[in-house]
Amino acid sequence: MSRLPVLKGTLDLLVLRALSWTPMHGFEIVSWLERAANSSLDIEDSALYQAVYRLEERGLLQAEWGVTENNRRARYYKLTSAGRTHLRAETRNWVQYADTVTSILTASKSGEPAPAST
Amino acid sequence: MIRSGVRRAFRLALRRRDRWEREVEDEIKLHLSLRAEQLVAQGATPEEAFREAARRFGPLTESRARLLEAARHRELRMHRTEYVADLRQDISFAVRTLGRQKGWTAITILTLALGIGATTAVFSVVSSLLLHPIPYPDADRVVIVEQQPNQGNNTGIRVSITPASPIVNAWRTGSHIFESLEPYRARGMLLRTTGDPAPVRVTSILPSFLTFANERPLIGRIFSAGEIENKAPVALLSEGIWRERFGADDKVLGRSITIGGQIGDSAYTIIGVLPASLQTPGVGRDRTDIWFPLDLTNRNLGLSIVGRLRPHMTISAATRELDALALRADVYPPGKAPFVTMVRRPAELIDFRDSLIMLTAAVALVLLVACANVAHLMMVRTATRRRELAVRVALGAGRTRLFRQLITESFILAFAGAGGGILLGWLGLKALVALRPASMTELTAAHLDLTTLGVTIAASVLSGILFGVIGAFESSKQSTHEALKAGSLATSHARGHDRLRSLLVVSEMALSATLIVGATLLIRTVVNLQRTDLGFEPKGLYAVNVSLPNARYRTPASRAAFFNEIAARLRATPSVRGLAFSLVPPGARSFSIGTFEIDGEAAANAAGASFTDVNDVDNDFFKTMGIRLVEGTLFTDTTEAAGQVIVNAAFARAHWLPGRALGHRVRVAYQGQGHWRTIVGVAADASTTGPGTHSTAPLLYGPKSEYSLQESIMVRTAGVKDLAGVVRALVKTIDPQLSPPHVESAEAIVARTISGPRFTMLLLTAFTFLALVLAAVGLYGVMAYSVTQQTREIGIRIALGATRRTIAKAVVLRGVLLAITGAGVGLAGAFWGSRLIAKMLYGVAPLDPISFAAGALLLILTATAACVVPTRRALAIDPIRAIRAD
Repeated sequence: MSRLPVLKGTLDLLVLRALSWTPMHGFEIVSWLERAANSSLDIEDSALYQAVYRLEERGLLQAEWGVTENNRRARYYKLTSAGRTHLRAETRNWVQYADTVTSILTASKSGEPAPAST
Repeated sequence: MIRSGVRRAFRLALRRRDRWEREVEDEIKLHLSLRAEQLVAQGATPEEAFREAARRFGPLTESRARLLEAARHRELRMHRTEYVADLRQDISFAVRTLGRQKGWTAITILTLALGIGATTAVFSVVSSLLLHPIPYPDADRVVIVEQQPNQGNNTGIRVSITPASPIVNAWRTGSHIFESLEPYRARGMLLRTTGDPAPVRVTSILPSFLTFANERPLIGRIFSAGEIENKAPVALLSEGIWRERFGADDKVLGRSITIGGQIGDSAYTIIGVLPASLQTPGVGRDRTDIWFPLDLTNRNLGLSIVGRLRPHMTISAATRELDALALRADVYPPGKAPFVTMVRRPAELIDFRDSLIMLTAAVALVLLVACANVAHLMMVRTATRRRELAVRVALGAGRTRLFRQLITESFILAFAGAGGGILLGWLGLKALVALRPASMTELTAAHLDLTTLGVTIAASVLSGILFGVIGAFESSKQSTHEALKAGSLATSHARGHDRLRSLLVVSEMALSATLIVGATLLIRTVVNLQRTDLGFEPKGLYAVNVSLPNARYRTPASRAAFFNEIAARLRATPSVRGLAFSLVPPGARSFSIGTFEIDGEAAANAAGASFTDVNDVDNDFFKTMGIRLVEGTLFTDTTEAAGQVIVNAAFARAHWLPGRALGHRVRVAYQGQGHWRTIVGVAADASTTGPGTHSTAPLLYGPKSEYSLQESIMVRTAGVKDLAGVVRALVKTIDPQLSPPHVESAEAIVARTISGPRFTMLLLTAFTFLALVLAAVGLYGVMAYSVTQQTREIGIRIALGATRRTIAKAVVLRGVLLAITGAGVGLAGAFWGSRLIAKMLYGVAPLDPISFAAGALLLILTATAACVVPTRRALAIDPIRAIRAD
């Protein structure tokens, strides 16, 4: 299983994305990210919790104690409306950035974008 | 997590430290076990799974510490956010609550603003003039040095002798107590260089004056020792005149300017410009325009002196040292100094100091009334809100939370009141300066004092908060259940609370009564001053003050030619009924210094010296002024040799039986020398320097044998419109170069002499009015509140057949009783306080019964007026509704 390197600053975005469907607890977020990336993340799990706390502090997440399917007490995180707005904006930025980088990396010598290959 | 809003509503405590720390631990534990379970499900042995889970989580101790730190940060931040949100909610809630009671809020804010504003304006003046009057470093050690005759100043006005340069030199070289002693001499001159001749104030100083004041020239340099020694014609400009008349041009250095004085015009070379901040002592006095080097070798000049004591030196030690040094200066005969040294704090030299101190006390009383009012308003408010507060407690609001709410309200009121107070204080100060009488030039130097502002705001705000809190305590003591059960028109209310409120109102009334007595005393003083018989007739009388330049009028003949000419032309002017010459005009005095002696009576102290009023007049003077001659004749021989003198009646009566004064000889001897003069006439007492200023002290009218450079022409007119214009035109035709003489009506002069007391009286009256209005508002508040509280009781009484009269009487009686109690205390205060202003009174005793009666009466009338609305409200109570209510 190849490991997905996490770029600096993108972890927050990934966490917000994970929570965009439903509130999750910490381990659920980790598992979701691993599933979505189809690999494990190249960071320590504790880093994710740090990211979560940071997001909570900024008011992008809200935490609440709840109970898991197996009847265990867990801290569930959910997006606040500020978090949702932030996710939307950051996603747009990220996609735009990635597109730009991609088009530069795949450009021909003249600077024209390479014809799309099928 | 509970939503923050909900938490706020129920006032749940924020989580404590051990709690969120445990939560972080729990979260880590859960994560590790879930990860392990996942790995086991994928086929790992439990042991492997736990090791792998821990590895993936990261080094445990380190990660845990990092997470705890992140959580701590988060909690802190959220706590703060919540706090700000609470505050915002408190504020908007408070604003809404206050807005609902617009009348109450407006009265409270206005009370605060008036109290703060009035106090700030007056205290600012005190602070600028009495506490920080001099712009020099180490101002607490700066003193003014002058001399007085050794028998003291008996004139009743501030007058002093400026020491001569030999004494100043002895002081400067010999003193160990003074760090520095700076002589200076200021006078008016005419600048003739740029544009029209302009009057300028010229001050001569030594270079060390700059060191003393800690200033340096803006451009150029100060005089050198050589320039002082050689009396070089050099000058420095002040920054003000340099900017106004020389365009702030650096090239003025080396330029020559012509300045005219008594001796004639001279040219001076500008060597520098001194900053505007450099000033001579004398708050609010004219600013110096041009600085000259001071010539200390000229023995004839009197010098003003400002000095700085060495640290820890006392004024009395300084006085003793200077007295001893003066005796060794070879100016006085051995051991017999006719003058003694006076070392004084600059604030002592402000003439209206007593008035200022009295007004400060008055305005402090006003502030007290305002504070009492605010306190009382706050209490009434919390009392009426008891039910509201109880409801909120029942719904789960914490007491601290309610406390915070009440304090937030107090603060908002305080801010609004303070804002209004600053504005009123600023306006008040501007008004004070604008309306000041001419005699109070120093007032112009007053500026808004921030310390004062802070103190007054703190005082009134604290009283508001304090009593707001007392109210909150009172209401919180009462059980929620009780407050809810009792109707809004509960008949029972805390007795102690009620007593405190009455006490506040009584104190307001008392303070007002004291102020009314003081104001009445001053009003009566001013009325007496205006009514008093002056002993001369100011109506239609004018004083024309002419000053001739020495250069062109050096000979008595040239002066006589000028004055005879102008007298002849003035006499020929229609509506001029007569004129006379006098050394000094009404409003001014001149003194002879020495021992006043009566021939045949042993002088009490042959070496003593004091001031004796003198005036040189011609024979027309008495008729022109309207001063009767009580005994004897006018001057029959005006020569020096004949030595005739006319004295004032009060003095004559104090020494001789009626008719026996004539023929006696008097003199003012200075160091044993002086011409004896024979009394030929006794003139009626005339208060030419203002009502009530004549005394039994001698006033010697001498005959005018020749004209001096400065003469006052007293002109008696009948219905003249513009005497000043006529005189100006006349002078222009006789001597076109002469600057126009100063013409003032005697009525204006007399008005000027009482403008000080009038101003003080007006201010005190204004403050009294203010206090009275505030007290009336306070009483109104108490009465209105008690009527509301007793609605049901009154309703029952009406139902039982009480007449409107009885109801009204009960309400008014309670108010008047409060007022009478207040008046009693206040008059007792005035009994003590009026003695403090005894010096300012004229023709009225400090314990004047009319003033005291006025204090009581006005207070009771005001109290009755304040009861009108509450009484009408009580009468309008519908018994059926009042009893049924709840």
